Amino acid sequence: MKNNILKVFTGLAYSIIYFPILVIGLLSFNKSVKGYSFTGFTFNWYVEIFRDDRLLEAITNTLLIAFLSTIIATIIGTFTAIGINNLSKSSKFKMMIINNLPIINPDIVTGISLMLVLSLLPISFGMNTMLLAHIFFSIPFVILTVLPKLKRLDKNLYDAALDLGCTRLQAIYKVIIPAIKSSIIAGALIAFTMSIDDFVISYFTTGNGFQNVSLWIYSRLGRRSFNPAVYSYNTLIVFITITGLIVFNKVNNKRSLKEIK
Amino acid sequence: MKSLNKLSYPYIVWMTILVVLPMILILVLSFTNIDIFNIGSFNFTFDSFEYLKRPEVIEASKNSIRLSFFTTVICLFIGYPVAYYFANTKSKNKQLYIALIIVPVWSNMLLRIIAWEKLFYPNSILNMFGISFDLIGTDTAILIGMVSMYLPFMILPIYSVLDKMDKSLIEASRDLGANTLNTFLRVVLPLSLSGVLSGVLMTLLPSMTAFALPERLSGGKTLLIGNIIEDYFMKTGNINAGSLISIILMFVITFLFIGLLRFDKEGDTLL
Repeated sequence: MKNNILKVFTGLAYSIIYFPILVIGLLSFNKSVKGYSFTGFTFNWYVEIFRDDRLLEAITNTLLIAFLSTIIATIIGTFTAIGINNLSKSSKFKMMIINNLPIINPDIVTGISLMLVLSLLPISFGMNTMLLAHIFFSIPFVILTVLPKLKRLDKNLYDAALDLGCTRLQAIYKVIIPAIKSSIIAGALIAFTMSIDDFVISYFTTGNGFQNVSLWIYSRLGRRSFNPAVYSYNTLIVFITITGLIVFNKVNNKRSLKEIK
Repeated sequence: MKSLNKLSYPYIVWMTILVVLPMILILVLSFTNIDIFNIGSFNFTFDSFEYLKRPEVIEASKNSIRLSFFTTVICLFIGYPVAYYFANTKSKNKQLYIALIIVPVWSNMLLRIIAWEKLFYPNSILNMFGISFDLIGTDTAILIGMVSMYLPFMILPIYSVLDKMDKSLIEASRDLGANTLNTFLRVVLPLSLSGVLSGVLMTLLPSMTAFALPERLSGGKTLLIGNIIEDYFMKTGNINAGSLISIILMFVITFLFIGLLRFDKEGDTLL
């Protein structure tokens, strides 16, 4: 009985989280442009993604920024985390307070802060500033994910590597990094997720007409230039992620079954 | 291994420029009539404080507090049982279930807001099922939207704490004569408090400062504090007043954060 109540709550949670995504899916197959009613089935919006130059550009920008900022933030974040892990206890605590500030700060305050600082520098707003902003808000999450794993790592591993003839750099990338690989990947995934969906911080740090998908949508809300092809883009992303997860889950389950045998 | 601590030094410089410097800048802007785009002579003044008395600012603060409070309560009410179910299920697809809670975050948030917006007008795609809502401009619309966006951030931290909890504690509590309710209230709940606190913070903070969501789901009628800040900075050019509101918001949130951390004896909420 008790289990059933829990299942009802779980069902409710999935419904409220997935309902808008299903609606977006429905709209992506809808002939109607305005989306007030379902006027017929079409695949046209999926072809339209590749025909709308501005949308395609926004999608490319989103992915480009997401990949670049993830790679750079993961590298900087991992090395910084290794550094923080070796600080004395009190400086570690101070570091983590500064590190967590952008995480607890509202997006809108972070966006404004970056806008103010960047406007003092002699650089023009656009891709560079948005990329910098994305790297900035991703690093704290990478550090936060990598640090707990580093704490549990045997302190002597690094010294042992040095004794056995590794250079310092080799000791880091041949010993420490492989040992914390799983949390580095987790950190990178969080960074990617934050970047691909960001609207608020991008809104304050872009310029010269440089748009990611969120900004493309925001600038076209309620306008005629709003192309329903963006529904198709979103549906494709969700479809690919869920399929990937299900396949990964199957493979994993099979592997663990084999291990039991 | 100590020598590795040097690796954290560049980050101190980076964070000073991008976190500490703008905070000082915002603080200076709040108490002066400086023009950020044309810095010349300036005076210290409390002019920006006049804006705090404006009806739109007071209204927006009330809206932010009310809506973020109810969003958090609803998310906790739905999210806790879900996290409990995930932590205790023996299904081999457990990892998949949890991953499916995260996937929607990959779907564009603005688009998900637009999807709700379209459904809340009387003339919507739901008409073909004979359903029609007229919710735009009501608190209900904003609450449904917010719960839908932020529920995953309540479920995940609670789940991660419940999952790590030693399950034999529950059996021990039963053996010692506690019933289900007592076991939950006196064993499970206190042990999962740090997860609940992270979850509360992760839903309370973004819902308090959201600006695209209330703008769309209220038809521009219900403004939150985020809308006011955006308006002052990007539209009406009251950068000094906008800075003052931002700094107050930052203080409120920092105090909330520190206050909630005090409840966390283990000290593993976010830190």
